[in-house]
Amino acid sequence: MTKRAKRDALTFALFTFPNFLLLTVFVFWPIFYSLFLSFFKWDMIAPKKRFIGLENYRVMFTDPVFWLVTKNTLILSVWVVVLKLVISLSLALVMNRDLKGRSFYQAIIFSPTFTTSVAVAMVWRWILEPDYGLLRVFMRPFGIAPINWIESTTHSLPAVIIVLIWVGIGYDMVIFLAGLKNIPPELYDAGLVDGVNPLQEFIHITFPLLSPTTFFLTITGFISALKSFDIISILTGGGPLNSSNVLVHFLYENAFRWFKTGYASALALLLFVVIMAITLIQNRLSKRWVHY
Amino acid sequence: MARIVFRKKTPSWIIGRTLTHLVLIIFTLAVGLPFFWMITTALKSPAEVATFPPIWWPKTIKWDNFSKAWATAPFGRFYINSFVTAITGVLLEVSIAALSAYAFACIRFKYRDFFFLVMLAALMIPSQIALIPNYVILSKLKWINTYKGIVIPYVSSVFGTFLLRQYFLSVPSSLYEAAEIDGLSHFKTLIYIALPLAKPVLGTLVLYIFIGKWNNYLWPLIVTTKQRMRTLPVGLAMVRDAEYAIGPEHLMAAAIFVLVPVLIVYFFSQRKLIEAIAAGAVKG
Amino acid sequence: MKKRNLVWILLLAVLFLSSPLFAQAKSEAKPEGPIKIVYWRSLTGVAGESQDEVVRRFNASRNDIIVEAEFQGAYAEILQKMTAAVAAGDMPDVVLLDSPHMPIFAKNGVLVDLGQYVKDEPKGFIDDYIPGLLADGYYHGTLYALPAMRSTPLLYVNGDMLAAAGLPRRAPETWDELREWGKKLTKINAKGELEQSAIGLTTGLTTAHWYFQGAVYAFGGLVSDEDFGIHLTDAPALELAQLWQDMVFKDRSAIPSNSHDDFFNKKVAMVFGSTGSMGNVYSRADFQVIPAFLPGQKQNLVPVGGAVIAMPKTGDTWKQWAAWEFLKYFTGTESQAYLARLTGYMPNSYSASKDPELVAYYDANPQWKVAIDQLNYVRPQASVISLPKGTAILQQMVEKLIIANRDVKTVMEETTADLKKEYNDNY
Repeated sequence: MTKRAKRDALTFALFTFPNFLLLTVFVFWPIFYSLFLSFFKWDMIAPKKRFIGLENYRVMFTDPVFWLVTKNTLILSVWVVVLKLVISLSLALVMNRDLKGRSFYQAIIFSPTFTTSVAVAMVWRWILEPDYGLLRVFMRPFGIAPINWIESTTHSLPAVIIVLIWVGIGYDMVIFLAGLKNIPPELYDAGLVDGVNPLQEFIHITFPLLSPTTFFLTITGFISALKSFDIISILTGGGPLNSSNVLVHFLYENAFRWFKTGYASALALLLFVVIMAITLIQNRLSKRWVHY
Repeated sequence: MARIVFRKKTPSWIIGRTLTHLVLIIFTLAVGLPFFWMITTALKSPAEVATFPPIWWPKTIKWDNFSKAWATAPFGRFYINSFVTAITGVLLEVSIAALSAYAFACIRFKYRDFFFLVMLAALMIPSQIALIPNYVILSKLKWINTYKGIVIPYVSSVFGTFLLRQYFLSVPSSLYEAAEIDGLSHFKTLIYIALPLAKPVLGTLVLYIFIGKWNNYLWPLIVTTKQRMRTLPVGLAMVRDAEYAIGPEHLMAAAIFVLVPVLIVYFFSQRKLIEAIAAGAVKG
Repeated sequence: MKKRNLVWILLLAVLFLSSPLFAQAKSEAKPEGPIKIVYWRSLTGVAGESQDEVVRRFNASRNDIIVEAEFQGAYAEILQKMTAAVAAGDMPDVVLLDSPHMPIFAKNGVLVDLGQYVKDEPKGFIDDYIPGLLADGYYHGTLYALPAMRSTPLLYVNGDMLAAAGLPRRAPETWDELREWGKKLTKINAKGELEQSAIGLTTGLTTAHWYFQGAVYAFGGLVSDEDFGIHLTDAPALELAQLWQDMVFKDRSAIPSNSHDDFFNKKVAMVFGSTGSMGNVYSRADFQVIPAFLPGQKQNLVPVGGAVIAMPKTGDTWKQWAAWEFLKYFTGTESQAYLARLTGYMPNSYSASKDPELVAYYDANPQWKVAIDQLNYVRPQASVISLPKGTAILQQMVEKLIIANRDVKTVMEETTADLKKEYNDNY
């Protein structure tokens, strides 16, 4: 190697060392350590861990609470993503024109994105209070009796879904707006010339051209929903009876409340595998996507 | 550019516009009302809180709800912890991102692309897999209940590196070669040539990372066990468990303590933030 | 390098390397300055402040020990933190533990055996503690903790609501009477919505099990015995569970409740609470509050709750000595009388309960006397509470009964199976 190449190699190493060291210790290594821990029974206090092979996995797949939690996570993720997309796309379409006060609307609708989830969940807990909460104001005109969202096994998950959607619409809307802006106006003009109505315009021009954006938001939204923790932890605590419990919260309970470190590691590993699989599929598919 | 289509201001157009505004106002209210509700509740007395139909604005404002809420937990301490960890976290993460981005964009190295792929792989890994292992590592290092314990595991930078690298690559490599010929060290090149290229996005990146660290809940929850090391989100969650001594008006006041800094930052920077996020999505 | 410098360097090196030897020797003699120890405490409001005051008094009373009290959150928090601290080797010198959590740490050898200190105390030291309150400081026959802030579950009653319903201004004495009264206290409006009920049954994560225990004991039953035999499918437990369920779904005179808000908002006329929350309840209520024993049935018997105070093994002889001195002070007559007077937690010893100031206080404020009187009807908590997942399993059982309305026998069988599994996981 030339002297310059040597110096470059050294500088490269020096510049990237902090990042790679951190990534190795706190991002890559944990995968293997989690795998390792999942074969043991350990309560984080005892000096010795007990090897139990695949027992944690066997327990996991026969644990009705695990299946309930998984079901909740999937239901939550699907509903949140779908509703978020529908609402935010509608809002983006509506906003995508020369509108007075547009930046004001946008600023407000986007504001929940950066709020602290703990505070938001606490506010929503109060909004959902059956007798005195704000939501009841909007239910009464429709003659709906007070609903105890938080303490109901049927309504706790919908409550979580509502809050997650509330938090997320702003972000999706902004992304959709950016995607809409990227559609060449000539295409719309061509459509106008052909005499299409707004609905046809949407189906044949807008939506197809938005599909990369839609795809991006679907996948990232879904993955993000799978990892939900904060809102659930404060809003319902996963209850009652695990009716609103989700994977990451279940993981937290097992690891840090009941000290079932091995079992929790098995859960973590499952979540990891699922998310990696979805991410890889996304990568493959988006590479194949045709842009023009 | 938004679609600009010239239409006559026909009655149907006016109706359309009105409906548009109506829809937007409804959704803006849907998003904004919870914040408003939080504020009015925090100003009410206990009797006014537990009423239906609700009272929209209290007759007398109970400012001492704030002092009572403040007294339920060491919020001053929580603020300090949040600031210290968020600011050091941002500084570290951005520095690490800048160094890595420069290395990937501007330094010739045989295995550069390989390492870049490794780093991208890290982007795909969900952080939840690392919760237990990182906790175990930190407890062996005796970093539980320390600022470094809260900060260090989360200052590796993949997204920031990627972003800055884009900007560093926006000039032809001949510019960097010229700097090299002039005898500039890589470090100086980074500071004087590469970083200024990222000026448009640097401020936003810093804000974005800062807000993320400020709002972080699960990791500080796990890694702090002493009240005096807790950050705001964790401290707030603990307040909720205070034994029956506080009512909704105090909880809302406490929520305000936590949300105000973030909302202030947001309202001063929202235009830039939104632009940056929109731009990032387009670049994909 | 000059030879002289070398000599200095060598000398410094020798001094530096041999300092551990000096340190070792020092630790045998009592340290010169005040010994600093850390006390992890829980509880907020009056219960928290009064502890801080006891610490202040201790620090003021002597200049060879300084105690630094650190609030660590609720009992569940302390459990988590202690676990983390054990793993990190970063334990406090004294810790307030929720009584069922003590066995977890004793089992893992984390706590100091207090017997070695007790035997050097004057005779009668340990006998002064009220047996019912001292009992759960033992694990497998060894004493690891002293009773600190003990409480028993109480029924808090809204006297005004009772009078308005034509009932006497007192608490119901048995569950049967409560059910009877419930019929008068339940108000359903024209739309079929429940406006007011008799009682809120606790479903909180860390509290549901406690009041359930109190109710089962009233029926003459058990949750679990000392050998971890589970008794939830015995007749008394089944009867009690069915009663709760019927009150919620048939009579609509009970509702599941997660906080005291329903009581303060007058949605329910009665609510469970601990003797420890007496101060807070009185300060927030704008109606007549009547504290009372938990309803009996076949008997009056309640689980003791609240905290014990223990000493983790930090390995430092003098710090442990200091911790013992603080333990004695905290559980001593003067402090206990003070704490009981201010918080409604119970005095833990005979001497404390006979303290003249305390006696006078109870005479002047008879409602606080409830705590004392119930001391005659206490027993340690169910053994399963000491399992990490024990309280969560019992809480879920309560939720299954009074929120999900599931068949009582099935729920009890499931809970028994879950508890047995949890026991096997841990022993």
